[in-house]
Amino acid sequence: MERLTDGEVKALGKAVGLDLDSPELGRVANGLNAILELMAEIEVPGANMVEPLAAPWAAEEGQDG
Amino acid sequence: MANAELVFLPATELGKLAAAKEVSPVEITEAYLERIERVNPALNAYITVCGEEALAEARRCEAEIGRGESRGPLHGVPVAVKDQIHSRGIVTSDASKIRAEFVPEEDATVLARLREAGAILLGKLNMSEFALGDPVSSAFGPAHNPWDLARNPGTSSTGSGAATAGFLCGTSLGEDTGGSIRGPAANCGLVGLRPTWGRVSRYGVDGACWSIDTIGPISRTVADCAATIGAIAGFDPRDGYTRREPVPDYLGRLAEGVRGLKMGLVKELLEPGLVGVEGQTRDAVMAAVEVLRGLGAEVKEISLPLAPNAGAIVRTITHVERVSLHPEWLRDRPEDYHPNTRVSFATANLIPAQVYYKAQKLRALMRRQVLAALEDVDVLLQPTSSGPAGVMSLEPGESSVELAKSALVEGSFRGVYSLAGAPALSILCGFTSEGPGALPLALQIAGRPFAEETVLQVAHAYEQATEWHNRKPPI
Repeated sequence: MERLTDGEVKALGKAVGLDLDSPELGRVANGLNAILELMAEIEVPGANMVEPLAAPWAAEEGQDG
Repeated sequence: MANAELVFLPATELGKLAAAKEVSPVEITEAYLERIERVNPALNAYITVCGEEALAEARRCEAEIGRGESRGPLHGVPVAVKDQIHSRGIVTSDASKIRAEFVPEEDATVLARLREAGAILLGKLNMSEFALGDPVSSAFGPAHNPWDLARNPGTSSTGSGAATAGFLCGTSLGEDTGGSIRGPAANCGLVGLRPTWGRVSRYGVDGACWSIDTIGPISRTVADCAATIGAIAGFDPRDGYTRREPVPDYLGRLAEGVRGLKMGLVKELLEPGLVGVEGQTRDAVMAAVEVLRGLGAEVKEISLPLAPNAGAIVRTITHVERVSLHPEWLRDRPEDYHPNTRVSFATANLIPAQVYYKAQKLRALMRRQVLAALEDVDVLLQPTSSGPAGVMSLEPGESSVELAKSALVEGSFRGVYSLAGAPALSILCGFTSEGPGALPLALQIAGRPFAEETVLQVAHAYEQATEWHNRKPPI
């Protein structure tokens, strides 16, 4: 898949209030591209219909969780 | 026995000696404090040493034992905990400048329970800043591996691994999100147990990732590990996700053995082409399998198809959840983070919602695969890491996309059970060589949710049948 450029990553950062500049901008872009590529490579038939799991069970009511 | 030698005994042996009044908790504590003073400058395992408080607690334990009172196997035993675990009146820094002056008003449940069990707090242990998987990000400088000071002691409970392997505490606590107990245990040649999610309270522990974090022991022997988890496990009304499952007598049941147990060897995590496992690691794990077979276990190959992807999945989830805790610090105090932490948090902020959501769906599938496998076998076996501890490097992990991807794939060895919420233990299963410079290699044993006792029994049987745990690091 096509990788995000440093410029695109900088713009994404701005959208969430982060001002990213070199040299850390390049490292952020590398880290983000690595996650996006590996996650895109995972293809499991039927996975889209799976209900996502946040936690194996619900918290007991009335308790801090 | 000279008092200086006491530090080399297992925690449970120290507890027995103290209970028999053959050694005073004060003598044991003094021996550890002397060794900390001498050895900690090289290991940098402690952020805070609580010398006076520890001696006062030791005197209290001595008096209790003198009156015939017993609080269990850790009564009078000095311990230490990772510096994300709240300690009343003692700084809890998360190894960060941002938290360097945070003094909690109460103990975390796990520390309170250790104290109730008679353990003596020696101090707070170094870690990766905010429990990220980086060996050099601590604001107090990196902890070092006792087997080779240039090497990574394992993240993120770096100090828990270094202090325990370096005989600077009897046993310790770490926190494991994507592998932060098992990684240090593997790199430092120890026993580390990530308990079932919900087995141990997270109350009073600074969160890394709410839906995956667990607190557990890093110890020198399986018995020490069993005693430590026994002290901290169980329902806590202040953590709504802990379960009301009974807590077995882990220590008392260790010797039940493995005869007749069924074990599955996870084939995907032994294939170099999928996850980069090194030959010496694979050989050590296969040799361990033969030991277990010799003890009467039935071992067969088993498949977890998603396992090689577990690192990317778990990192996606932990990244997003971790950075959601304090977004204001990243915007308002970016200069107070280590650059590696800042980069990691900034990256986490940019992960698209649908990628996070996909990771949560894959997590459900990963858990199903693990639980289905554990219907067929009692435990799963695999390496804890691809290879031994690496040399600590100041070069950023994200200097290229390829390096960043390698780091994510490495996380698959431990991420499988982080995603599944199942208990998993790392145990020393060999060394890279016979002579000086040898580095530990590790086997991982995972079990059904809330079946920590089975995992511990398998580990104990293996430990008793081998000699690896008797080797000492050269520090």
